[in-house]
Amino acid sequence: MVGILAKLLMQVRFLAGALALAFLITIAAPAAAQQPSSVNPTASAVQERQLLQELNRIQGRVSIPDRKSDVLEQPAGRDWRQWHQVTLRWIGAIAILGTLALLVVFYLARGQVKLERGFSGRKIVRFSAVERFVHWLTATCFLVLAVSGLNVTFGKALLLPLLGPSAFSTWSELAKYSHNFLSFPFTIGVILIFLMWIGSNIPNRTDVEWVKRGGGIIGKDHPPAGHFNAGQKMIYWIVVLGGGASAVTGYLLLFPFYGTEISGMQLAQIVHSVVAVLFIAAMLGHIYIGTIGMEGAFEAMGEGTVDVNWAKEHHPLWLEDELTRTKETQAQAAARPAE
Amino acid sequence: MARMKFLCDADRCIECNACVTACKNEHEVPWGMNRRRVVTINDGKPGERSVSMACMHCTDAPCAAVCPVDCFYTTADAVVLHSKDLCIGCGYCFYACPFGAPQYPKVGNFGSRGKMDKCTFCAGGPEADGSKEEYEKYGANRLAEGKLPLCAEMCSTKSLLAGDGDVIAQIYKERVSRRGYGSGAWGWQTAYREAIAT
Amino acid sequence: MLTKRSERQVRRGGLAAAIGTQETGGFDRRTFLRRSGLVAGGLATLGALPLASVRKAEAAGPAVAGATIRKNICTHCSVGCTLIAEVSNGVWVGQEPGWDSPINRGSHCAKGAATRELVHGDRRLRYPMKMVNGQWTRISWDVAINEIGDKLMDIRAKSGADSVYWLGSAKFTNEGAFLNRKLAAFWGTNNIDHQARICHSTTVAGVANTWGYGAMTNSYTDIRNSKTILFIGSNAAEAHPVSLQHILEGKEAQRANMIVVDPRMTRTAAHATEYVRIRSGTDIPIVWGMLHHIFKNGWEDKQFIEQRVYGMDDIRKEVEKWTPEEVERVTGVPGAQLEKVAKMFATQKPSTLIWCMGSTQHTVGTANVRAFCILCLATGNVGAPGTGANIFRGHTNVQGATDLGLDIVTLPLYYGLVEGAWRHWSRVWEVDYNWFVDRFDKITAADGKVTNTMNTPGIPSTRWFDATLYDKKDIRQKDGIKAMFVMGHGGNTVTRMAEAQKGIEKLELLVVADPHPTTWAALAPNRKNGTYLLPIATSYETNGSRTSSNRAIQWGEQIVKPIFESKDDLEVMYLLAKKLGFADQMFKNIKVENNLPVPEDVLREINRGGFSTGYCGQSPERLKSHMANQKDFDMLTQKATTGPNKGDYYGLPWPCWGTPEFKHPGTPLLYNTNLSVKEGGGTFRPRFGLEREETLPDGTKRMVSLLGNGYYSKDSEIKDGYPEFTFGILKKLGWDKDLTAAELAIINKINPTTPDAVSWAIDLSGGIQRVAVEHGCTPYGNGKARANAFGLPDPIPVHREPIYTSRPDLVAKYPTLPNAVQFRLPNIGFDVQKAAVDKGIAKTFPLILTSGRLVEYEGGGEETRSNKWLAELQQDMFIEVNPADAAERGIKDGGWVWVTGAENNSKAKMKALVTERVGKGVTWCPFHFAGWFEGIDQRGNYPKGTDPIVLGESVNTLTTYGYDPVTGMQEPKATLCQVRAA
Repeated sequence: MVGILAKLLMQVRFLAGALALAFLITIAAPAAAQQPSSVNPTASAVQERQLLQELNRIQGRVSIPDRKSDVLEQPAGRDWRQWHQVTLRWIGAIAILGTLALLVVFYLARGQVKLERGFSGRKIVRFSAVERFVHWLTATCFLVLAVSGLNVTFGKALLLPLLGPSAFSTWSELAKYSHNFLSFPFTIGVILIFLMWIGSNIPNRTDVEWVKRGGGIIGKDHPPAGHFNAGQKMIYWIVVLGGGASAVTGYLLLFPFYGTEISGMQLAQIVHSVVAVLFIAAMLGHIYIGTIGMEGAFEAMGEGTVDVNWAKEHHPLWLEDELTRTKETQAQAAARPAE
Repeated sequence: MARMKFLCDADRCIECNACVTACKNEHEVPWGMNRRRVVTINDGKPGERSVSMACMHCTDAPCAAVCPVDCFYTTADAVVLHSKDLCIGCGYCFYACPFGAPQYPKVGNFGSRGKMDKCTFCAGGPEADGSKEEYEKYGANRLAEGKLPLCAEMCSTKSLLAGDGDVIAQIYKERVSRRGYGSGAWGWQTAYREAIAT
Repeated sequence: MLTKRSERQVRRGGLAAAIGTQETGGFDRRTFLRRSGLVAGGLATLGALPLASVRKAEAAGPAVAGATIRKNICTHCSVGCTLIAEVSNGVWVGQEPGWDSPINRGSHCAKGAATRELVHGDRRLRYPMKMVNGQWTRISWDVAINEIGDKLMDIRAKSGADSVYWLGSAKFTNEGAFLNRKLAAFWGTNNIDHQARICHSTTVAGVANTWGYGAMTNSYTDIRNSKTILFIGSNAAEAHPVSLQHILEGKEAQRANMIVVDPRMTRTAAHATEYVRIRSGTDIPIVWGMLHHIFKNGWEDKQFIEQRVYGMDDIRKEVEKWTPEEVERVTGVPGAQLEKVAKMFATQKPSTLIWCMGSTQHTVGTANVRAFCILCLATGNVGAPGTGANIFRGHTNVQGATDLGLDIVTLPLYYGLVEGAWRHWSRVWEVDYNWFVDRFDKITAADGKVTNTMNTPGIPSTRWFDATLYDKKDIRQKDGIKAMFVMGHGGNTVTRMAEAQKGIEKLELLVVADPHPTTWAALAPNRKNGTYLLPIATSYETNGSRTSSNRAIQWGEQIVKPIFESKDDLEVMYLLAKKLGFADQMFKNIKVENNLPVPEDVLREINRGGFSTGYCGQSPERLKSHMANQKDFDMLTQKATTGPNKGDYYGLPWPCWGTPEFKHPGTPLLYNTNLSVKEGGGTFRPRFGLEREETLPDGTKRMVSLLGNGYYSKDSEIKDGYPEFTFGILKKLGWDKDLTAAELAIINKINPTTPDAVSWAIDLSGGIQRVAVEHGCTPYGNGKARANAFGLPDPIPVHREPIYTSRPDLVAKYPTLPNAVQFRLPNIGFDVQKAAVDKGIAKTFPLILTSGRLVEYEGGGEETRSNKWLAELQQDMFIEVNPADAAERGIKDGGWVWVTGAENNSKAKMKALVTERVGKGVTWCPFHFAGWFEGIDQRGNYPKGTDPIVLGESVNTLTTYGYDPVTGMQEPKATLCQVRAA
């Protein structure tokens, strides 16, 4: 662990170095403008080692209009390689396998959260067709992005020996294209999720209580919750912020040298991959609770309706609101003169 | 067998770009792809030096390490090559490469990268030596013909050296001791984890 | 799993076995070392190496099965790099390094390494075209030659022979250049010129007026012997990259001083040991400043001056005025730095001086060059290894084309425009002298005097448009220029392009015979008719000889047949001569096969007449043998140590005395007294009389000898100065009996009345030369070099401010020369300078504008900008601006700017390159761009598919008036401009 931390520190250092470089270049220019009257260009030649020590990077001028080519040397690539090959794999493995392990342990310990009163048979609409479409659009994209993304980091170790180079390459290329293309619907999905559910996801006092009581996950407690409980709100914000961050960094990588240069892309890749593995880990929890983790939960997004008893137990405040609203609507309808 | 390396003696390099066009000529490298380039440091100031740079064929090459599909391989001459059949154009080798060597043709609608292209040390690719397929994908295979990379062979001032690392290091050492100065074996520490004591 | 390691080993083994190497690496160690530029000394330290396989690996053969190897010479500068081309089925498929060349040893620059693309020819002109009502129309060669010939005859009848201007090319082979000059002579005009006008015309004039011949005295490889290398106005790293191989290796091996004097911190300066930044156009003050220190400290070479230099005391007087303070005031260079440089140059010898267009392209170009020569003379740095005036020229064959008289002031090989010279060539060509007399225009002056223009220098190429636009009465010939026949010469290389555009519009006929349409075809969209484009083969598609800057001649072999409908220059000239009716006379002694004159025959004709310059010994057979046996020549000495050419210097650098049978080895260093003449030695050439009358301060007069004073070349039988050899002199010396009967017969035939007057230069037998050389004497005599070049406008070079100077305060003290008529046209430089000062131009245009070369492009750049491998490397025209100037103007690196010039309200749009290469107050532009004019993209003006890949503003849109009085050289290196962000 200490080793990993040291490596991480190194990553941070080289990124700081890159930033410092840009600054140095700007301040160095005017100082050197006035040349001394007698100069020996041979004796005053720049030394590679000195340049590398000062900036850990060497940049100059090239005549071709290709910005990336003016970086002569960036040993930081070596550090990034260390990140990608070692650090990231550890983080990813711990986050994802760790979450899976926790879920398994939890499932074995707690089992499925059952409806205490069983199904009532009465349904109430929880998510409209539009909401479900957006959710599943995003979810499907996410799954493909996650798998194709993980393939980049872990495929070589896990799949390549199984598939062989040719098949693995074909699969990886397909995965790359899916990753690139599905990023667009995924981003749209995240934006829509953000807009659609922002109203119900502002944290409030109910959430404090919900969190204090651990969401009722342990034992048979049912802290009150509105349309979304604090756990779901957390998922919402993970999706919005994590999705946003991976989208932004992803596009920087997808459009090389438009927004950043090489050190920026290395940073973008680091952010992208960390966010992605944490995102995946979080989504594992989300998937768990939405499927086998809780009785009656999947229907909410699957069919759009939930059993009233499920609502009573998990989202009593929302149910109240819904019922009140329905009554009002019915009352309004009744008040209207018959034709 | 020989351990092939490049060495650019910056105290000789005059940014004439012969290496760049020799490379284009030998391999018919298309517009926009630059397997080799010359970068000028401290342009216009005393101390200015130009350095010709391409893939350095690193020891324990970072590109090979980070490649998600493991498309790189190292030849018996320690030349780092890759298979365009396996490459998926992900761009990871570019992030890892300390020398900006990997090049990608623009394909598709949005900045997407095609299969990576880079300096082969004039040693072609996985296809049969001197075959048409090899030439079309990677360019000429001079090494198989007993010749060295054309960039170094045509270098106007014999600044760019290519060949057995020990021999070119020896040449560089002798030059430095004869003339009394040397700005360093650019990229050697980074690429080969070794410096040339002068 | 991916590695085909085993496979490769097997294949390598097979190849290695086939070529007999025993090494494992696929190439043997020694070959590798050779290729890595390790010299023999280094080899020894590395221990014994298998020598058995030295060359065999190199002879492994072409990459492509069945490919043949052809050798030619790179055309992009004057270094003379050997190109090795692999040709398969008539297609140029590959380029290999020419290891055997003792000049480039396999190396190339960006251009040389990309030449193959030129012959692929994506952007080449494919067939003859004609502009019809503003549309390019394809025509056949027959139609083109017929129509052009008819129009030429029509113009000749109407306006006279001088109304046709023949603009030739430094990219001709020697044979092409010679025929082009011959064509003009047969047509009857001296209006024939080529690129030398705008590159080294002032060098040729200045150097020839100093010590006899207007060429590089030493050679590229000889610079390896120098202890001090001084560059003034030369950026060899970009203009002559392969020369830097010799310069940098020499600098390293000798631990030599390398000094670069330039307004711009160039790529050459980056490798200097001392960089001196000067104000553009102040070369003479720099040299005089150096000499001031040299004379003050007694660093001059007194014996050398005493024995070999005339008039140095006159120089001392002028130099006294240039105190360190005055030098710093004028040039900006501190006295201490200049003293350091002067000391190095004078005392750490041998020293060589290298200059280029930074010094020659000025109104004082000739005077600059003269000052450089004087510096070399004063310090004794001429005529020995490691010394000399190393003048780097710009094209493959600009030296050869100059030698062969593509010039308004000479006939081939510097035979001047005088009757004797005409008669000499009449004898060589076997055409009656009077026939030529009749071909030329006769003009009647105001006083009624009739002059035949055959002995009048023509109009320089820098001013052809003045001769088109000026009123007829202001042009000293029958009529203005009505037709331009341009072969291989860009249209954007001459200053004042706005006026060139008007000139093109006014021409009756414009013929562009070139591989590319060039700027001529695109610059003037208002020209709707009367333009012809003829597709010409590049130099790589021709056979023939080329002369490098070091005077060595190399035979280049046709790599592939002319592509598309292109024709060889020689063929076009033949077809034209035939149409014009003098082909039979012109090609009397030249075999013509399928309309193509045989280049070997042309060279033999050059040999037969080329005695004055020693172009007489380089027969095609000898040159071909040199090319075939390059490996026998030593790089450092350029001498063949073995083989059929043993003892010869590579390329038989002229003067190569006598007939080819005499087997003179060529002269690697001019005026080298350490060798006997027979081995390539020589003395200064007494060309300006044998003695001169001088007036002493007390009014008395005395005669001063211009012959050498007690010096002579090795093995000379005359141990003092002597005049040029004539039959009469031979008789006096009693050496006439060494002549053979055949030689005597020819001498007597040349001048039956007074054979004594037949000189070494016109003796077609070569006998006089042979005998003189056998006796250890230089045929041209043994004289003094002239520090005082009496006869020139400034016999002692004096500083004169550029016409458009950034220092108008200095004009009163250092004005340009008074107005005068030169080369048939008025030169009103004085008025222009005065007006510029009076109007305060330097305030409106506060930045100095100077120009130069980029390594990727050459000349006008149409050819190289059409080469995709080169074009990619420089995609935009730019101007270098100092960061301080840029900051004042809000200009960003890479941003667009408008540059405005001091004349014609000129303006040009380009990108800014903000860099400290240029000092504050100075800007620099490359001169290779064209195809934009004042912000307008002219791409559509080129015939479809022939537009160069990269277009841009030409710097000559902005350059201004100013001409050297001796040669008509333009002044693009020191003018003024203003820059603002666009």
